[in-house]
Amino acid sequence: MRRSLFGRVWPNATAVVLFVFFVFPVYWMVTTAFKPDLDIISKTPVFIPVHGTFAHFRAAVHAAGFWTLVRNSFTVTVSAVLLSLVVALLAAFAVARMRFRGRKVFILVIMMAQMAPWEVMTISVYMIVRDQNQLDSLLPLTLFYMMMVLPFTVWTLRGFVAAVPKELEESALVDGCTRFQAFVRIVFPLLAPGLMATSLFGFITAWNEFPLVLILNKNSAQTLPLWLTQFQTNFGDDWGATMAASTLFTLPVIIVFLFLQRRAVGGLTAGAVKG
Amino acid sequence: MAAQTTGARTRPGRGRAPDAPPADHARRGGRGLGARSAPYLLILPACVATIALLGYPLVRNVIISFQDLNAFQLIQHTTQWTGFSNYTDQLSSSTFWHTVLRSVLFTLANVALIMAAGTAVGLLLNRLGKRMRLVLQLGLVLAWAMPVVAGTTVYQWLFDSQYGVVNWFLAKLDWHSMAGYNWFGHQFSTFSVITLMIVWQSVPFVALNLYAGLTTISAELFEAARMDGAGAWRTFGSVTFPILKPFFLGTTFLEVIWVFKAFTQVYALNAGGPEGSTETLPVYAFIEGVGNQHYGMGAAISTLTIVILLALMSYYFRIMLKQEDDL
Amino acid sequence: MGKRRAAIAVLGAAVMAVSVAACGSGGGGSSDKASGPDAFKGKTLTVWVMSGSNPPGWTKDITAAFEKQYTGAKVDIKVQQWDGIQQKLTTALSESSPPDVFEVGNTQTPYYAATGGLKDLSGDKSSLGGDAWAPSMNASAVYQGKQYAAPWYFATRVVVYNKKIWANAGITSTPKTQDDLFKDLAAIKAKGTQDAFYLPGQDWYAFDGFLLDAGADLVKDNGGGKYTADLDSPQAANAINLYKKLNSYGTAPKDKDEATPQQSDVFAKGDVGAFLGLGWEAAGAIAKNPALKNEVGYFPMPGTSATTPAKVFIGGSNLAISQNSKNPQMAEDFLKLALSDQFEGELAKEGGVIPNKTSLDSNLAGNDYGTVSATAATNGGTTPLIPTWGNVENAPNPITTLFMTPVLQGQDPAAAAKKADAEVDNRLNQKQ
Repeated sequence: MRRSLFGRVWPNATAVVLFVFFVFPVYWMVTTAFKPDLDIISKTPVFIPVHGTFAHFRAAVHAAGFWTLVRNSFTVTVSAVLLSLVVALLAAFAVARMRFRGRKVFILVIMMAQMAPWEVMTISVYMIVRDQNQLDSLLPLTLFYMMMVLPFTVWTLRGFVAAVPKELEESALVDGCTRFQAFVRIVFPLLAPGLMATSLFGFITAWNEFPLVLILNKNSAQTLPLWLTQFQTNFGDDWGATMAASTLFTLPVIIVFLFLQRRAVGGLTAGAVKG
Repeated sequence: MAAQTTGARTRPGRGRAPDAPPADHARRGGRGLGARSAPYLLILPACVATIALLGYPLVRNVIISFQDLNAFQLIQHTTQWTGFSNYTDQLSSSTFWHTVLRSVLFTLANVALIMAAGTAVGLLLNRLGKRMRLVLQLGLVLAWAMPVVAGTTVYQWLFDSQYGVVNWFLAKLDWHSMAGYNWFGHQFSTFSVITLMIVWQSVPFVALNLYAGLTTISAELFEAARMDGAGAWRTFGSVTFPILKPFFLGTTFLEVIWVFKAFTQVYALNAGGPEGSTETLPVYAFIEGVGNQHYGMGAAISTLTIVILLALMSYYFRIMLKQEDDL
Repeated sequence: MGKRRAAIAVLGAAVMAVSVAACGSGGGGSSDKASGPDAFKGKTLTVWVMSGSNPPGWTKDITAAFEKQYTGAKVDIKVQQWDGIQQKLTTALSESSPPDVFEVGNTQTPYYAATGGLKDLSGDKSSLGGDAWAPSMNASAVYQGKQYAAPWYFATRVVVYNKKIWANAGITSTPKTQDDLFKDLAAIKAKGTQDAFYLPGQDWYAFDGFLLDAGADLVKDNGGGKYTADLDSPQAANAINLYKKLNSYGTAPKDKDEATPQQSDVFAKGDVGAFLGLGWEAAGAIAKNPALKNEVGYFPMPGTSATTPAKVFIGGSNLAISQNSKNPQMAEDFLKLALSDQFEGELAKEGGVIPNKTSLDSNLAGNDYGTVSATAATNGGTTPLIPTWGNVENAPNPITTLFMTPVLQGQDPAAAAKKADAEVDNRLNQKQ
């Protein structure tokens, strides 16, 4: 059955319009980062930075302690994601494969944990960390970021575990594997997409977190989101540098995304489809 | 890869009921204490983390909400109990209830838009040719990956009354009254920009996942529907939606939570203005608590926010838990 | 975001700076250390200054001077952003090792003094040079008769204008009265300059100057520590009407403050006749558009008569020592150093800000902005110096959102004032 010319054209035309809609703000961020100051605030928008400059990128990278912030951000984000994957995987396996008293309560708690309004709980988190003498350290950040992504991770992974055909696992058991071995050899490889999908989500969340690090780590152990805001000063808002910094800040997310992309995108659904 | 796994599970007519009740439970049930305690050991780390890192702060938050905790008390480390006065202040204030209503309507409108637009884009992805699909996917991914803070800054500019591209463009289209239009001067226009931004940020998640879900539905099903003479709408209603129902349920659940909690977007764009007319609950809690340094009051509002969200979602929890029974 | 450029700010180091010759010996505190010279080895003194307050030359010199005085100790000068500074400072003061010395805006000082987080400096006032401080500039640092901070520097808003645009409109001298100003602006507009005067609708500290000049009181003292707002007065109406008129000579937004977008960025484009700003804003504009270098001039906001310029809001910053400081002696000596004639002078010279003693004003010679600004400061005032005033200025500031913007958009001043007063009252009565 051949589609009419119209039937072939409109999806593509719509797709182009949508593409522009979704990409334009990103495009604007990146191009602004290359524009000289006078082109940035301009009544006639400058769409293509003809007189491109790297000055804003230099300003962004030369900010004090930049590389320390990069290291801290990666340390905290990667540790939080890995930690939550381990913790969540154990729980997800139990919930998806075993029946036990309290299972439903646990699921309910996980669903509710998803709703925690972290932005407005900063002061109680702060007081706890302060009273434990753990301010200005990466450890509490890592733990709380882990907690921020844990519910979603459990939720998604359990869909994945459930989606692995039980027969595979059982046949391994029949072959004399222990339950643990069966998990490591059979189930775990099949979970790769789910692990990637959830780690992507976790990465974005932890990478972007701002309110908590602002108040917990005032003197040291700071992360990149604080760097993003420092170009708006009393000397004037350096929008060029802000956008250059934002561009650099987005890069790792995009790289992680492209790296995980194919598996990840399908991954979230597998979890969600399983509901 | 995921597509295949899921496909195996969701493709009907494969003769195996999805998620047959775990027979192994009964079979291995009698293997003794070790096996019986296994699930509890597995969920133990998650429980400990949740109690220590979420439960405890929540409890502290509730405790604070019964106190007068301002800059003075915080610096002096003194505790000043006020009983329920933070709560009675809020519950008897019309500002609070207006904010609640506004938050609920805001959430409903945004989630409806996100789900509708996300579904439409997801279906479109399924229909596109390979190359065009990749292009659109790339666009979605870029929008999704952009940090919220950066996205908000860019939107502020796009809609700036003097230097914004949007006003410039509308004026170019001969809509001259839009030159210099102040998007952040009115409640509705401010909400429109916030909504546009939230939809822009959220649609990719829905669309990409829906598309991935669609690829798991076998082509024969669509073929069969078409043979029966079903149009696009009927196909969606009778094939796509029922199969992906868990996906729609789960995604709507997440979006409701995310939109209701959306703070940065609403606060950074216009700080709840003009005249507080776009304050949603989290923004209100932040302005009262952190902005005015009345942390006790802020804690009370955030506790109420949690209660309201729980109430809103209770129906949802029931559906989701019921689904658990079917697993 | 960045809505609350609290007290002030400073300078555009790069352009205005006349860099100062190498530092001399630590002029300030002669060390009266009880313990031996090694007692402070390995210690670090943490100093918080707000973004823009510490010009590079000054920072380098004072660090060197301090580390010379305390051999083996280090001073760590940390630049803080205005965004979220209140919460940051409050929480920091509650910790066991807070910053030892920190900058706090003059409108905020009573608030923090009342929290008990600031060390009482009454006994050290003389040794800090307090006998020579101009009393009006010290007012914000005193709370309930005690000295909780020390005045550091000040700045006032003056009219920054583009000489070329004014000359093109045939204007040969700067206006001495408000009538002259409006005549000049009309002439500039007639020449096709859209923004003869750029005055955004929520430039709160600029408006405070208008209120002061009109004789409006922001709050009434009802005795017994009770205050009520008083925007609903004919004087305040005059102030906002004048503000509205000035705003109408340009296209500045009525519901934005001077930082969104930065008015200096707008001025930098070279097609704005004038704006009401600080020295660093003018310097920032020149940094963005060097072509303006010789085109920028300054004059004080004129008053109704030619004899005195209009009253202005004196923005300023104080330096304070935290109550919980682990290094009180070092902190005190740092304060002495920073407030010494040498470093006050250097700050004024490099940053173009008004020093805390009039005897040091000579350091502003050659700095066009600084000279005009110091003149304007002789006839200035501040916001009400009561602790709960800090609540009023918390975002969203009711005076800007409920009074200024609505009136500029056409609401009746009296009606808007009633709404704003109600909210200001509400905040003045909030506990701290």
